Amino acid sequence: MNDASVNPSRASREPLDRSFPARARVLAAPEETALFWRLRRRLMTNSFRESIARSRLRVALATALTLVLWVGLFVLFLLGFEFLDDAIPEPVTHDETVRAMYSIFFASLTVMLVISNAIIVYSNLYRSDEATFLLTTPARAERVFLHKFQQGMLFSSWGFLLLGSPMLVAYGIVVEAPWFYYGVLLPYLAAFAYIPGSLGAILCMLVVRCIPTNRVHVLTVAGVLAALVGGWLMWSLASRQTSELLTPGWFLEMLARLRASESRMLPSWWLSSGLLEAARSGWRDPSARTAMVESVLFLAVTTSNALVLHQLAVWTAGVTYRSGYSALLGAHVARRRLKMSWMDRAASTVMRPLSARLRLLIVKDLRLFRRDPVQWSQFLIFFGLLGLYFLNTRRLSYDVNYASWVNMISFLNLAVVGLLLSTFTTRFIFPMISLEGRRFWILGRLPVKRDTILWSKFLFAAAGSLVPCALLVLLSDLMLGVSPLVVWVHLLACALLCSGLSGIAVGLGAKLPNLREDSPARIAAGFGGTLNLVLSALYIVSLVVMTTVPCHFYLLATQGGNEALLLNASRQWNWLMLGLLGGCLLGIAATAVPMVVGFRAFRELET
Amino acid sequence: MIEFCHVSRSYGRKVAVADLDLVVPSGELFAFLGPNGAGKTTSIKVLVGLLRPSSGRVRVCGFDVESETRQANSVVGYIPDEPYLYDKLTGREFLQFIAGMYGLPTHVADERIAREIARFELADFVDDLCESYSHGMKQRVALAAALLHDPDVLVLDEPTVGLDPRTVRMMKDLLRERAAMGTTVFMSTHSLSVAEEIADRVGIVDRGRLRCVGTIDELRRRSRSLGKMSLEQLFLEITASPDEAAAAAPVSASPDEDAA
Repeated sequence: MNDASVNPSRASREPLDRSFPARARVLAAPEETALFWRLRRRLMTNSFRESIARSRLRVALATALTLVLWVGLFVLFLLGFEFLDDAIPEPVTHDETVRAMYSIFFASLTVMLVISNAIIVYSNLYRSDEATFLLTTPARAERVFLHKFQQGMLFSSWGFLLLGSPMLVAYGIVVEAPWFYYGVLLPYLAAFAYIPGSLGAILCMLVVRCIPTNRVHVLTVAGVLAALVGGWLMWSLASRQTSELLTPGWFLEMLARLRASESRMLPSWWLSSGLLEAARSGWRDPSARTAMVESVLFLAVTTSNALVLHQLAVWTAGVTYRSGYSALLGAHVARRRLKMSWMDRAASTVMRPLSARLRLLIVKDLRLFRRDPVQWSQFLIFFGLLGLYFLNTRRLSYDVNYASWVNMISFLNLAVVGLLLSTFTTRFIFPMISLEGRRFWILGRLPVKRDTILWSKFLFAAAGSLVPCALLVLLSDLMLGVSPLVVWVHLLACALLCSGLSGIAVGLGAKLPNLREDSPARIAAGFGGTLNLVLSALYIVSLVVMTTVPCHFYLLATQGGNEALLLNASRQWNWLMLGLLGGCLLGIAATAVPMVVGFRAFRELET
Repeated sequence: MIEFCHVSRSYGRKVAVADLDLVVPSGELFAFLGPNGAGKTTSIKVLVGLLRPSSGRVRVCGFDVESETRQANSVVGYIPDEPYLYDKLTGREFLQFIAGMYGLPTHVADERIAREIARFELADFVDDLCESYSHGMKQRVALAAALLHDPDVLVLDEPTVGLDPRTVRMMKDLLRERAAMGTTVFMSTHSLSVAEEIADRVGIVDRGRLRCVGTIDELRRRSRSLGKMSLEQLFLEITASPDEAAAAAPVSASPDEDAA
């Protein structure tokens, strides 16, 4: 229907009917709850129906990818637990080991969930159009908070469920846990996730309410402190070992050092203990029945704490949400006059061989990156932590007598750098074309070929990632003291990784843009972003295997150990050359194919 | 009725609204006129409870917006410049949600939804998902939603921006009609012609201060007394930057007196 079809004469002809007796009123809490649940149900049903009707292939692919990931993790954990079962047959030690591992795993998840929920709650409560709209209605601030908080919990916890559930199911199968164990899994995970979720929400609301203007500085300082503490923890774990690496003594020593994660006050311990008790539970003998009761008790402790924190979060929202929202909305944002920085000038100088237009586009993206703290701070934190870990790997070269171990660790480090880079290309490079959406007319009207725009994104991503990745790989190799051949192979693989991952992200970003969405996080979390991440992971694994496995065998063949007797050096050299050639071809294909697909799609893109 | 009692609101050191003291009685259509960044939207955000005043109080139908936010919001119908609709709801579902939010019984809600669908001729698209609507369609659904509970106060932020001429005409008629029925209408606008055409009273705001308030006739008289030929000239005079005002010195009387 045309917008102009409103009939003004009808509007003026029919006077407003005020004869209805019903007047607006504020709703009681239960009515409001029912209303918002109806809203949520309706939104979910409509989204589901639309996805099924319009994008069956996407839904099928996303489901299949999730299932593959779940099954892959499940198999991995199953093999791990079977190995543990064989290695530690004694039940008490076995249980203690699993409890320690669970505690460490869930304690780490607690910290991650607190941080991720605080960030999601901030974006959902203070930066969303829906929250602004709801605050202008007669809805209670507590209800608006709960609506957005629970939405955020679902968003942030699916990863936790995807990671946690295959591990716990695998454990249940290995120890032949009863049905009771599987029955309490979901309530346990839900209650556990609610605790860090509520803590994150409370933390976020208090920070916004108390320090709306200086929140970024305070959080930056807190982030740096947390990184320092984390770094110190890693350093202390790696630097003061007394036992030989990767021996049972070393393993026990590590567990003892991480004993802090087994504090009885931590929800991770309640969860670990409760699930282990549930796995041992049963009806037949008294100890099994006791285990069942204990499991129920741990579940009650976890749930009651989750409920208390839930109430506390709701109360905090009632007290601080509206005033915090107002304070944040009213926080003064200083206008900054920014000029061309030395970085832009340096980049322009380095890129002199490129055309002026290409250079301008790259410098524009560089400026946007520099002026967006979300991008560079995450980049710094993750690459910084990885750098810290690589510095610590120095010990491995002293402790491990087998050169093959050192080589393998260096290959794994290369893969880790690639995986980390793939998360960045998915989060920041893939959404770049989509984010041009509403501004596309600016680029679209410029006397610049659309191909040039894509090239600029590709060069920005590839060149921008090559320097930090190559430095990290070099650092890892230097710390491990690997041979020059390995260093060269790694640098070649690193260049191919940067080029291929950038090509995949830019090409797919142009092929599957989401021009309606403003949030890069949501664009990355969509189908295109997921596909980008999966393809990137497949590419990394394939490339690392093709380039490093032949290198590994060649080194074994030439280093004169027992393996040298079994391996023919010249044949391994041929394999190495073949692997490197295959890796180069794969890298070229991973760069060129998505870019060609992206060019075609981008030329035809209408906004 | 809307009462701004010496309301001020700052963003850091920048004063967005300074000592706004204004009463808009029932049945009046008040146009808040001013250039970009004058403080119109900030005043409206304070009025609907999104922003809290740094000092002063705002009352809507006797409810204090800060301490009785829910009651105040229940008597207000608010249409922002960029209305929010749920992408994954149809227009009808959105209207049902809003009716539920204001506690209308189901049979009343159904009748009023039917009434607004007919009034704004939404029938052709009201059962489509809102994500497929144009700006004009969204604006009409938002307007229908704001009127569902027959609010005593209607607040509109730049209601005519981005609408086609027929919808603008319909909007103007509707606002006059509501005011005639006793609803207080508070509307911000850039457009002098819209204010001249439909407003009972106009307030000209600039750099956070209400510089001038009165009926159109009063403003015209004032404009003539200052040697200005039109309301537009008066508006430009009042909202001129300090440098421009100095250049036009002979007519720069203190208009703040009128604000009282």
